[in-house]
Amino acid sequence: MRIKALLGHREVGVAVALVVVYVVFMSMKKEFLSAGTLGDIVTVAAELGTVAVGVSFLMIAGEMDLSVGSNFALTGMLLAMFITRFSWNPHLAFVVVLACAAGIGALNGLVTLSARIPSFITTLGAMMFWRGVALYLTQGWPISVFADVPLLRWLGGAKVYHTFHISAVWWLIIGAVFWVTLQKTAYGNWVFATGGKRAAARALGVPDTRVKLVNFILAGVMAGLAGCLQLGRMGSMSPVWGQDLPLEAIAAAVVGGNSLTGGVGSILGAMLGAVTMASIRIGLVMVGAPAYWYMAFVGFIVVAAVALNVRLGEVISWHR
Amino acid sequence: MAPVMRDSVAPNHAEQGTAPLMEGICLCKRFGKVTALEGVDIAIRRGEVTGLVGDNGAGKSTLIKILTGVYRPDEGELRFEGQRVEFASPKDARRLGIETVYQDLALIENMSIARNFFLGAEPQRKVGILNLLDVRKMRLVTEEALKDIGIAVRSANDEVSVLSGGERQAIAIGRTMHFGGKLLILDEPTSALSVHETNKVLTYIDEVRKRGLAVIFITHNLYHVYPVADRIVVLEHGRKVGDFAKDEISVDELVQIVSYGAQRVARSARQQ
Repeated sequence: MRIKALLGHREVGVAVALVVVYVVFMSMKKEFLSAGTLGDIVTVAAELGTVAVGVSFLMIAGEMDLSVGSNFALTGMLLAMFITRFSWNPHLAFVVVLACAAGIGALNGLVTLSARIPSFITTLGAMMFWRGVALYLTQGWPISVFADVPLLRWLGGAKVYHTFHISAVWWLIIGAVFWVTLQKTAYGNWVFATGGKRAAARALGVPDTRVKLVNFILAGVMAGLAGCLQLGRMGSMSPVWGQDLPLEAIAAAVVGGNSLTGGVGSILGAMLGAVTMASIRIGLVMVGAPAYWYMAFVGFIVVAAVALNVRLGEVISWHR
Repeated sequence: MAPVMRDSVAPNHAEQGTAPLMEGICLCKRFGKVTALEGVDIAIRRGEVTGLVGDNGAGKSTLIKILTGVYRPDEGELRFEGQRVEFASPKDARRLGIETVYQDLALIENMSIARNFFLGAEPQRKVGILNLLDVRKMRLVTEEALKDIGIAVRSANDEVSVLSGGERQAIAIGRTMHFGGKLLILDEPTSALSVHETNKVLTYIDEVRKRGLAVIFITHNLYHVYPVADRIVVLEHGRKVGDFAKDEISVDELVQIVSYGAQRVARSARQQ
């Protein structure tokens, strides 16, 4: 009974995938299981995971955002530009660029909801448009902040312990807030309902359109924030970074038990999905495999974990 | 609106029981040149199940959409508890306790029974500065409310997807009763169900009537509605062609009226 209850959780597939990834890399290189490596993994996972949390919250409401990678790069670049070229107060700049990221999300939502077109299309367009804007800003060159800016240290530069960057702390806090909102508030109930069966939700008085718009905005803010975290950690941002981010975030979400069509999903699952993908990235580097294998490995994990999830779901419902 | 019209009928219906909960008087609705409803009177009483029958296109759904505030009638008026009412939107109707259970829109499959039950009216408790869902209350109240009308679920935390079609209808019905609905409108509640499931849903409807709610049961299957109905209203081409107390008419006569048309049945009756 206990075991069945445990298997009923959406996060089982990704938990198994994570264990498999760990076992594989540990058997190849036993230093993989160390605090230092875990710190590296969590640091990479924090940036991808922040995006994935926002994207999966939006996916549960039944929409998609492919523009998160462009938003990520553009927001990070704007923050760097405001600080270096315009000498703005970094805190003011941070607030302004997050507002820009929210605006990109809001625009995605307004266009999708008022034109009644799939968000896949809207955000595909937005992905290209904002990437173009980011490239134009510096004519394709990366932009770096060489000065010691306390805000950037606070965002991602500082290490809290060993190889653990502070960005992971922000990510865990964000994840907790999203998890509580989804699972433990009335708003979370509306998110599930809007993505599950929009007309039924509306018939019961759920403000479905507003829920979707809010979630578009949150996905935008999380993408922009991830860009700021990375700028904080690396000190620079390139307009070509984050091109794979939308698909990586969606992969983390579906590996973690989110549905592409909405109505079901888990924030914790998406976070574990991000950790799994970060483990693969770090693991391949450690065993000296060419980094090209990253995408191939992730592709395999996505299909295997989702297949496992579906299979477990069937077993559980048979035994009910 | 002439103010004289207001509660002019109220004194006649002072006693409970005889006073209709809701009335539609001479309702008309046109869409362009098409007349969907013409001069239909209907009275819905507490503790009664009113069967609304008729072929496709007879005007059943137009009438229901007027009663629930989706459409506004072109002519005629609505009265609720003796008062004249006008609905700007379905929300106005719901506020008075008029609830509709649609066959395929009742519940959201991937959510738990309790989350469905309280959707849009979630109980909350304060934890520090946060307003959190009262998950425990949701489960307990749902299980209690369902048991109350004779629906047994394993746990209110189960997903709706594990339930049968009849159980889903039952939960939607239980939800309406719990939230103080006065008029329950069921749109084809049995059309997708097996015989066994249909019988179960009919017992729940009977339970709702015993609690003193008014029920409108829309169907084109007379054999489903006849056993539970107190009154049967027949629509045909947008007009009311029959309004019978159940003991006035047999199910076979009703079938004749619905399938061959009221006029032809009346004519053949006269010839005999």
